Amino acid sequence: MTTWRRCIFALALAFAIAFTTGCRVAAGPQVTLEFWTISLQPFFTDYINGLIAAYERANPGVKITWVDVQLQAIEQKMLAALAGRVAPDVVNLNVEFTVRIAERNALVDLDDAVPGTERAKYFEGLWTSARFKGRTFGIPWYIAPPVLMYNTELFKKAGLDPMNPPATEDEMIQAARQIKDRAKVYGFMPLVDGTRLMHRFLENGLPVLSSDGKRAVFNSPAHAAYLQRYIELYKRDYFPEDTLRRGFTGAVERFSAGQLGMLVTGPQFLLRVKASNPEVYAQTSVAPYPAGKGKVIHAGLMTLTVPRASRHQQEAMKFALYVTNDENQLAFSRLAVTLPSTKRAAADPFFKQSGAGPESKAREIAADELESSRDLTVVVSNQSELYKIFREAVEGAFFGKMSARQALDWAVREWNARL
Amino acid sequence: MSNQGNRAPAVPRSPVPALPRSRLLSRKARSTVIAYLFLAPALGLLAVFTFYPVIFGTILSLFEYDVLNPPKYVGLQQFQRLWGDRYFWIAITNSAKYVLVVPVIQLGSILLAVLVNRQLRGIKAFRAAYYIPVITSWPVVGIMWSWMYDQQGIVNYVLQALQTIERPIPWLSHPTITLYAVMFVTMWKGLGWYMVIYLAGLQSIPTEYEEAAMIDGASRARVFWRVTVPLLRPYILLASLVSTMAAVKVFEEIFVMTRGGPFFSTYTMFMYIFDEAFQELNMGYASALAVVLAAVILVFSVVNFRVFRRGGLEWY
Repeated sequence: MTTWRRCIFALALAFAIAFTTGCRVAAGPQVTLEFWTISLQPFFTDYINGLIAAYERANPGVKITWVDVQLQAIEQKMLAALAGRVAPDVVNLNVEFTVRIAERNALVDLDDAVPGTERAKYFEGLWTSARFKGRTFGIPWYIAPPVLMYNTELFKKAGLDPMNPPATEDEMIQAARQIKDRAKVYGFMPLVDGTRLMHRFLENGLPVLSSDGKRAVFNSPAHAAYLQRYIELYKRDYFPEDTLRRGFTGAVERFSAGQLGMLVTGPQFLLRVKASNPEVYAQTSVAPYPAGKGKVIHAGLMTLTVPRASRHQQEAMKFALYVTNDENQLAFSRLAVTLPSTKRAAADPFFKQSGAGPESKAREIAADELESSRDLTVVVSNQSELYKIFREAVEGAFFGKMSARQALDWAVREWNARL
Repeated sequence: MSNQGNRAPAVPRSPVPALPRSRLLSRKARSTVIAYLFLAPALGLLAVFTFYPVIFGTILSLFEYDVLNPPKYVGLQQFQRLWGDRYFWIAITNSAKYVLVVPVIQLGSILLAVLVNRQLRGIKAFRAAYYIPVITSWPVVGIMWSWMYDQQGIVNYVLQALQTIERPIPWLSHPTITLYAVMFVTMWKGLGWYMVIYLAGLQSIPTEYEEAAMIDGASRARVFWRVTVPLLRPYILLASLVSTMAAVKVFEEIFVMTRGGPFFSTYTMFMYIFDEAFQELNMGYASALAVVLAAVILVFSVVNFRVFRRGGLEWY
């Protein structure tokens, strides 16, 4: 081969390589979406990866990068990303965080962005949960109405009938006292720490805000009496001293160690008890949440939000709706012992199936509770500051710095000065 | 006759050519430049991670800024707001209380240093043992002590076994004792670090001073208080200064163990700054709090210098 022929051949080869590479680049993803979830690894890694792979197959121009973040870190990580102008595109938040970030005008208004036909697929009470100033900022994803888990061995030891668990809050308190007195371990760790007492108020028909949302009203004699009852139980050592400090985390740990008679929690926490102590799991039975007098149950809702700083808001919205559609929510509920936020998925016969293990029983109970479940997070401006005042008042009352009535009066005055 | 014979004898030329005056100066300048080049990496890091944040934070204290929206200039309003802010007073009072750690930890570490400054078999193992908490990270220490302080933890178990207490003490759940319980952990963790400083100080003191005092009939205690401690003063100054700064800025142990509770009894300035900055997104107000905290640290540092500046071998 002569030199000039070699040159032409090399040139043609280079051109061919460049052409095919160029074609490959042109066929690659044009949009990369960053998707953040809260604490789904390692239990649900395969589910989320499968979800993403299916979406990428159906949408060839889109690539999804999944980042799983711990609950304690999500808010700060999100703020850092927003401040650094590297916002993710779809972010899983709870209602409290959603509202706090929406207050800063950093999230897309979903009442505007999501068509009415799509919005109608979700339970209305859930669609309006992550609402700030009348606008919704979080697409409801999954919800976990609480159930009562109880240790049947400790029940027997305390002379309680494991087949007849407490059905109301009053009965739960009575059972907790009996367990402490007879079985010599704590019966429960009531969720009255920090702002959780607001949920308890609302579950008992005691309002936190006036109907127009402009005044705090949680200082009536009924509110004070409710708080005082738990203060008395605390003073008489009917629940552990670290209840106010460690709250729910402490309760799960204590129950998993076989040191707590009853645990009120989302059914998905059964998986954690099962993983950390199979022996306690084997003794665990599940019952409906011992509801208060308000005929409403606080259930933590997870939402999907789209930051306004996302460069691909349309694509992000489409992906968020895909993650929360009927099929995908149903598939997730089968794995996670949670409930879906869409009406059609929740109506699936799967949630009515009775199974042998506590998980299927918990799922069945939670599905029944869905009708009366709401995320009762109190949405106010200056949320962090007002929550801090509430916490101070509640702790002040528990530690005897002031009476329950004085504490609530003070907190209401402080709230009203800021609302 | 040529005039060659009248020439002055040739001066042997120096192998190094004489440099003009200006070149000499440039050599000096060159060494200065080289010195700065050596300093440059450290100065660069300081500039980026210390000077810039300090200047930026101070400027930010004059603005309202929530990270997500542009900053708004408000002058000294943030500082005026401080005086009427009850959480500021709670936090600064708790931080001031925390400074109580300083004398206790200093005295404890001096005594410990004296104890391990002996030629005994296995003494190095003791020194290493006291140093282990220093190199253990705060999250590990915090979680470990939270377990130990638990109602069913080892601290209550031992005290009950010794019949010192009837009921478990809520170490981390009672507003009157929690701050002191956390302070104890700070002391436990810091003791080894200050012990090493004092050990170096003790080993730098010539034995003649103590021997002379002993020959003069001074008791061991008198030698310690009248000879050893004054000679250690430069080390006490260093350790107290560092310890005071650490006490005023306490954060990690509080964050891991109590998060400022119960009833805000461990809510220190750094916890408040953290809350304002990252929970409430009041970056400007958090910066104003940080500026005030810096001023408080400056006051404590001046006091330390005044109290401990005289002492050491040079003073004698």
